Amino acid sequence: MKLKKWLFLLAVVLLVGLLSACGEVTNSGTNSGGNAGSTEEAAPSPSLEPAKQDSNAKIASLSIHITNNLLALGMKPIGSVIGGDVKDFLPHVKDRLEGVAKYGVAADPDMEAVLASKPDVIYLDEVLTGDDVAKFEKIAPVVSIDMDEGTWRDHLRRIAEQVGKQAEAETFITGYEAKAEQTSALIHEELGAEAKVMAIRMTAKELRVMGMKRPVGPIMFEDLKLKPANGVEKITDEPYAVISQEVLPDFDADAIFVIISKGNEAKANFDELENNPVWQNLKAVKNNRVYVLDGQKWLDYSSIGHAMALEDAEKLFTR
Amino acid sequence: MESLEKSRARRAVAASLCLLLAAVGVVVFALNTGSIRLSPLNVLSTLLGNGTEEQELILFEYRLPRIIITALAGIGLGVAGAVLQGVSRNSLADPGILGLNAGAAFGLIVFVSFFRSMEGPTALLIPMFTFAGGVLTAIFIFLLSYDRNRGISPIRLILVGIAIEAGIGAVTLFLSLRLDEDIYSFASRWLAGSVWGREWIHVGSLFPWIALLAPFIYSQSKKLDVFALGDELAAGIGSRVTRNRIVLLASAVALSCASVAMAGGIGFIGLVAPHIARRLAGPQHRYFLPIAGIVGLLVLVTADTIGRSVFQPVAIPAGVVVALVGGPYFLYLLFKIKF
Repeated sequence: MKLKKWLFLLAVVLLVGLLSACGEVTNSGTNSGGNAGSTEEAAPSPSLEPAKQDSNAKIASLSIHITNNLLALGMKPIGSVIGGDVKDFLPHVKDRLEGVAKYGVAADPDMEAVLASKPDVIYLDEVLTGDDVAKFEKIAPVVSIDMDEGTWRDHLRRIAEQVGKQAEAETFITGYEAKAEQTSALIHEELGAEAKVMAIRMTAKELRVMGMKRPVGPIMFEDLKLKPANGVEKITDEPYAVISQEVLPDFDADAIFVIISKGNEAKANFDELENNPVWQNLKAVKNNRVYVLDGQKWLDYSSIGHAMALEDAEKLFTR
Repeated sequence: MESLEKSRARRAVAASLCLLLAAVGVVVFALNTGSIRLSPLNVLSTLLGNGTEEQELILFEYRLPRIIITALAGIGLGVAGAVLQGVSRNSLADPGILGLNAGAAFGLIVFVSFFRSMEGPTALLIPMFTFAGGVLTAIFIFLLSYDRNRGISPIRLILVGIAIEAGIGAVTLFLSLRLDEDIYSFASRWLAGSVWGREWIHVGSLFPWIALLAPFIYSQSKKLDVFALGDELAAGIGSRVTRNRIVLLASAVALSCASVAMAGGIGFIGLVAPHIARRLAGPQHRYFLPIAGIVGLLVLVTADTIGRSVFQPVAIPAGVVVALVGGPYFLYLLFKIKF
C-alpha cells in the first residue's frame, strides 16, 4: 500500500515535471523564434550603416566560410571556428590565419574562447548557429548571415557591406570572373570544346559523383562552363550522389576530375579503383584525362576557396 | 552484531563525507577550468554575486549548467547501475546491459537521419528522441524477458538485453553509415559520451528525475537487499519479488535514460560506481547507494573537466575519458580485491 502511494506520488510529480518542461520548451521555442525573427530584422539594419563597423573591428567568425570570405577581402578575423573534418583551420588558408583564436568546430563552438578573444562583432551562419544568436549576443553584437541563400558572391558582398569593403569585393569578383574565363579557355583548349566532364570524390566509405549543386557544381559547370557528363545533370537535389564503381562507364565522361578525401583509407580506395578494369577501360582514363584536384579548395564554397580552385585548375592544365 | 552494524554505518558515513568533500573539490576545480582562467577567488566572488558581467557570463551561462548536468547524470548513472546490479543479482549489470545506451543511440540516429528538419526547439528534440529510444528499448526487453509464472528472471533479462542491444546496435550502425560527414561526426561525438546538454533548460529537465527517483530508490534499499538472498528465499520471507523488481527496474531505467538523454551516451559509470561504492561501504544498499551516486558524480565531472580542458581546442568526450581512466582503475580494483 505504502509502495503504491509512493508510486502514485512519483508519477504525478514526474508528469508535472515533464509537462512543465514541455511548457518551457514551447516557451523557449517561441522565445528563440522571436529572437531569430528579431535578428533577421536587426541584421539588415547594421548593414545600412556599414561605417558602424570599421575595417579594424575585431570580428569573431562562427563559420569557416565566413572566415574565408573575410580573408578574400584582406581581413583577418580575431578568431574563427575550425573545419569539422580536419579539426583545424582548413589547410589551404591555414597560413593566413596565424595567430587567430580557434573556437573549436562550428557545431559545438567553445563559447569561452569566443568570449576570451573579446570580439567587437560576431558573424555567424544563420543555418549553422542561428538558434544560438541569443547566446552570442551576450558577448557582442551579432551579424547573422544565411549562408544557404545566394551564391558565394552574395555572401562576399554581404560581408563586404558590413565591413565597408565593397570595392574590394567587386575587385575580387571581377578578378575571379576574368580568371574563370581564362581557365575555362585553357581547359577547353586541352579537352576540346564539346568535352563532357564529371567530378568524383573518393571517401573512406564510398564513391561519389559531384552534382550540379554547390560546392563543386557551380564552379565546374557554370564558372568554367564545362559540360556535365551524362547523368550528372540529374544530380540536383543533393550535392552529390553515391554510386557504385560499375556504373562509372555510364557517365561516358571525356575527362574525370578526382577529389580524394583526406586519410589513408580514401587514398587506398582510390588506388584500388585505379586497378579496377572498369576504371582502366573508361574513355577518360584511356585518353589520360584524369585530373586529381586539390580537394579542400574545391569543396570550400567560399570566395577564396573558389579562387584557389581556379589556380589549382590552371596549374593542372598548364603544360 | 550490533557493533558490526555500527562500524559499517560509521564507515559508510566516513566514506560518504570524504567523497562529498572530494566531489565539492572536483566541482570547484571544474568551475575554474576553461578557456578563460578564473581564479578560485574570482569564482567564489562571482558565485556570491560580486563578479563582473563577463565573469558571470562564463560561470552562469557556460560552466555551471554543464557541470550541474554532468553531476546529475553521474549520480543518476551511478545509482541506476547499483539498482540494476542489485535487482539482477549480477555484478556485471549496468544500464548498457538493458540496452539503454543502445536504445538512446538509436533514438539519436533516427532523429538525425529522418527528423532533422523537424520543427521545434532543437535543444529538447534530441533528449526527447534519445529518452524515448532508451525507454522503448527497455520496455521491449522487459516484455521479452517476462514470464507469466516466474516474473522477470535476472539471467533472462540480461541475455535478452544483450541480444536486443546487438540488434539495435546493428540498425544504428547501418543508419549511421548513411549519414554524411558533418552529421556523422556530431552523432559519433554524442555516442562517445560527449556531455551534450549545456543549457539551463537541460538542467531543468534532468533535475526532477534525479531529485525524485534517487530518494525513492534509496527508500527501497531494504527491498534491494532482499534480492541478494535469491528469488525463492526472498519470496519466502514475504518480499513481493516480481513487483519490487519491476518497480525498481523501471525507476533505474527512467533514471539512466534521463541521464543519458541529457549527457550523451556515457557507459561504464553504471558498472564501476557501484563496485567502488561496495568496496567502501559494504553490501547493504542503504549504505552504498548514496556512495555509488557520489562516485558517479565524481567520476563524470572529473572526466568531463579533463576532456574539455586538456586537449584544446578539440574537446574529448567525457565518456572516452571515463573509459580511459576508469578501465585501468577498475582492473586495479579487481586485482587488489579477490572475488
